[in-house]
Amino acid sequence: MRTLLTFWGKQVSMAARTLMKGLWGLRHSRAATIGFSCGGQHYTTAASIKPPQLQTDDVSEKIMSLPLQKPDFFRVSELFSLKDLFDARVHLGHKKGCRHRLMEPYLYGCRLDHDIIDLDQTVEHLQQALNFTAHIAYRGGIILFISRRRQFGHLVESTAKDCGEYAHTRYWQGGLLTNAPTQYGPGVRLPDLIIFLSTLNNVFQPHVAIRDAAKMNIPTVGVVDSNCNPSLVTYPVPGNDDTPAAMELYCRLFKMTISRAKDKRRQMELLHGLTAPSSPSS
Amino acid sequence: MAALCKVVSGLRCGGVRFPSRFLRSSFSSDSSGASGASGSDQPAADRPRSGFAAAFDLQSELRREAEVGETGGSSAGQEDSFASLLRRSPLIQMGPAKDKVVVGRIFHVVGDDLYIDFGGKFHCVCRRPADRDRDRLQRGSRVRLRLQDLELTARFLGAATDTTLLEARADLLGPLDGREPQNRD
Repeated sequence: MRTLLTFWGKQVSMAARTLMKGLWGLRHSRAATIGFSCGGQHYTTAASIKPPQLQTDDVSEKIMSLPLQKPDFFRVSELFSLKDLFDARVHLGHKKGCRHRLMEPYLYGCRLDHDIIDLDQTVEHLQQALNFTAHIAYRGGIILFISRRRQFGHLVESTAKDCGEYAHTRYWQGGLLTNAPTQYGPGVRLPDLIIFLSTLNNVFQPHVAIRDAAKMNIPTVGVVDSNCNPSLVTYPVPGNDDTPAAMELYCRLFKMTISRAKDKRRQMELLHGLTAPSSPSS
Repeated sequence: MAALCKVVSGLRCGGVRFPSRFLRSSFSSDSSGASGASGSDQPAADRPRSGFAAAFDLQSELRREAEVGETGGSSAGQEDSFASLLRRSPLIQMGPAKDKVVVGRIFHVVGDDLYIDFGGKFHCVCRRPADRDRDRLQRGSRVRLRLQDLELTARFLGAATDTTLLEARADLLGPLDGREPQNRD
């Protein structure tokens, strides 16, 4: 399921401005100028565009559009190889009796009742997921890591802290995403990407946040094991989520991707002289 | 004539290992002459090879074909395709896990319970033995295990899928003595 720009009925008139301030997290240098592209179409509001900011608009648009011109702008495919995934035991699935029907396309086979996940497909899915994460991080989006596995809770939280993003590894209350203005106060900003390092909760049911993120049009990246339901996850990554080696690999990859994307963004801004009044080029 | 005899003898001593169809084809082509055999093997060669050269070419070509057939024809042509990695992995080569002896490493200790990782999907939990080895088994020590099951699952009445305990089961045989260099995953 891809992210769509859907509007609630009564807010259509102020759709663009609300979305810019609220949910979509695209960074803009001046609050008055609102311009963003989505799906190739360019929307601007009727607000007056001041002449001195015209230069900034072009530069910021160039910063935003430059990574979209190459398929792998952040070179995430160099971060890992199939051998790394194999050594981290990513290909090991649960037993045949635990298998979810919808995970069958991602399985290589079943050996003595143990499912083996196809690492060729995993490599492609992981590349797409990391690429998407990098683009979100480049554009200044908020990323939320979710995992209800108590064994890896500390690992996930420290990963999120190291890359400057957020994590939620505790009990998920009902309306955290769907009832956010009531629970947190008006004008709260929801995450722009949710990364599930394990899509199940402690009673082996799909995590509530998968359904809620789909309701709130928040794209999700999720590591799906052979007993998980991959349907509502935007970028599923079929792989093992029970072994510490595999979890450490995922955390390391996501941390490196997000750090790389943020460094690239800082570098681009310095190059085009947006933030620093001192030397523009580096 | 001497050259023809050398070709035939070279093929015969190597022919024990190879399927009979190669023998038959080589003998039938030998009957037409040595140049016929070498010509079918190397159409690009200018002069027909004979003797040891022809036998060497044939055997190296057969070995190459056998290797390509073994790896299952990976699309990238690399030796480390997923299929070959999987087939050569110790977990697959081990076969059924029942009563196999493996080496594990203790990564967590809670009182008398030792959490041991032996390279499978899950770890196993064993109780510390009450004999003289009990103080040698600390975090990080390597132990020998006899595996019973790689994952403890069971289908309960009324359930759609199996219930899994997220654990393996193994019997603790004792600490790893003798400085064995092998590293069974």
